[in-house]
Amino acid sequence: MTEVLLEIKDLGIQFKTGEGVVQPIRGVNFSLKKGETLGVVGESGSGKSVTSLAIMGLLPEKKSKIVSGSIHFNNQDVTHLKDRQFRKLRGNEISMIFQEPMTSLNPVFTIGEQLSEPLKQHKKMAKKDRKEAIINILKQVGIPRAEQIINEYPHQLSGGMRQRVMISLALLCDPKLLICDEPTTALDVTIQAQILELMKQIKSEKDMSLLFITHDLGVVAEMCDRVVVMYAGEIVESAEINELFDNPLHPYTKGLIDSLPTNNTRKSRLFSIKGQVPRPDEIGKGCAFANRCPYAFDKCIASAPPTFSTGEHLSKCWLQEPERQVKIQ
Amino acid sequence: MTLLEVKNLKKYYEISQGLFKPKVVVKAVDNVSFSIKKGETFALVGESGCGKSTTGKTLLRLTGTTSGEILYKGKDLLALSAEKMRSLRAEMQMVFQDPYASLNPKMTIKQILMEPLRVHNKFQPEERLEKILKILEIVGLSKEHLDRHPNEFSGGQRQRIGIARAVILNPDFIVADEPVSALDVSVQSQVINLMLELQKEFGLTYLFISHDLSVVEHMTDRVAVMYLGKIVELVDTEELFANPKHPYTQALISAVPASHPKEVKERIVLKGDVPNPANPPSGCTFHTRCPFAMDICKSVVPALTEIESGHITSCHLYTNNKEEK
Repeated sequence: MTEVLLEIKDLGIQFKTGEGVVQPIRGVNFSLKKGETLGVVGESGSGKSVTSLAIMGLLPEKKSKIVSGSIHFNNQDVTHLKDRQFRKLRGNEISMIFQEPMTSLNPVFTIGEQLSEPLKQHKKMAKKDRKEAIINILKQVGIPRAEQIINEYPHQLSGGMRQRVMISLALLCDPKLLICDEPTTALDVTIQAQILELMKQIKSEKDMSLLFITHDLGVVAEMCDRVVVMYAGEIVESAEINELFDNPLHPYTKGLIDSLPTNNTRKSRLFSIKGQVPRPDEIGKGCAFANRCPYAFDKCIASAPPTFSTGEHLSKCWLQEPERQVKIQ
Repeated sequence: MTLLEVKNLKKYYEISQGLFKPKVVVKAVDNVSFSIKKGETFALVGESGCGKSTTGKTLLRLTGTTSGEILYKGKDLLALSAEKMRSLRAEMQMVFQDPYASLNPKMTIKQILMEPLRVHNKFQPEERLEKILKILEIVGLSKEHLDRHPNEFSGGQRQRIGIARAVILNPDFIVADEPVSALDVSVQSQVINLMLELQKEFGLTYLFISHDLSVVEHMTDRVAVMYLGKIVELVDTEELFANPKHPYTQALISAVPASHPKEVKERIVLKGDVPNPANPPSGCTFHTRCPFAMDICKSVVPALTEIESGHITSCHLYTNNKEEK
């Protein structure tokens, strides 16, 4: 259980834009153990999706570049893998579920045709076995009338059903790592509850690792063993799930938890983090959160904090400097 | 005091199936009645496709109605001429869900905020700019934003502009259709705070349409839960969350993710999806997914009944055998 499946070290990614080079990912470190669910939390623009695309090798080739660091998957360096080699991994050992199930399924192919694709790519199977495998997996994700569904098109299914199809597509080749990029954001709450329940069940059956990307702390609280919090292309805090909610060390994490409506008295002013996420080109040499942080002091503006650790609990904040160790309330 | 009263509101859409085939009727809003008191925040809650947004739009006559009555300060809105309705919209405004789509990308903020003042011919032209600056300051923007276009703003700022546009005419009533669901968590709380402040300052009445129950619990006074075009439960917010009666409401509340990993939630996971509104189930429309469904639910439509004072719900569990549940 303690074997590391995915390790990201000091990852930096640059994008070329019309106005020059920006670096949305600036030194991301984390690792994912076998059988673990790791949550990646952050607001839009924090770089969580870009990180997941880098793991999948799906970054746009011409526009982006991994400028530093490495990604190791299953003891293999996949940082600068050629596309052809990556294709052997994608859909086979690493697969991904996207946010919007309608745009990630092809509208002109039937469900059956789309589901047979990863099997054709990665497994040598007879046509009949393939069909059987597909029906099996559809039943596993709780799709009724699987035999008929394989001849239907995505538009004939509801949002929840489509997301189930996406999950079955990702599961077909028994991946070791499943990346879920906001898998329930586009769904209604009752359907979200169904899908989360399904993912928990599948995870316990298949013993795979989940990388769960979301902005919803409630979903994280339900699903994850460990959490990393991203802000402006960096990991600002990383901790075990209960530890993070009980004892957040970074003011940003603290702010996110405090601004949940359920943690505020009814009808009162909600706690809120002032300002907004800086654009990649706005980040100066200090801490990226300094301009919104209620605890910021001179040092925060002057230089960016390194990562301080208290046991397994990591945070990137000057308040956690050994001689300071301020506990934020 | 009642500000707005909706009686038996219906909005049906007809879908043509071909020249000689009968049309299919989708009952988007089906016999909905409620009233909103002055100064309160009334919430419409439900999943996508339940008719909550359609209800909001019909109140401002942004879409037509099939039948029913909408009384605003005693006046029947549906009987008004288009011109009278337009001048009445100075008192009734709307904030839309998607701040990216609801602002004209070719207009500057100044033009966007000037528009309602010009249409309703409020203030002298010289005074208008002053008024705009004042409202910008209230919503947390400043003078230098005046000549910028919407694309130069972030989602949260755009929603502030949308709110400023609705509030600038000093309306009494605002329909807010999912105003925070497109925003990030940290920005979401800023916008909720702004809406609460404005309500205090201007004595606004909100119709708050949302699917996010934690936000609804935080900021509303009364809630109507909708399912497939019908109201299934209507009660004070605190009572709804403490003591939900309708099985759908119970499931909806239990489906909200926990706010702490140690919080143990007893979850009611509903089977299946929302049925197709063009072909709703017979009897109680919820019976296909209801964990307590009885025989009677399949054939008889339950009526909305007041089971406790001020607590209205439509479910056979409370009308027939009271001892159960």
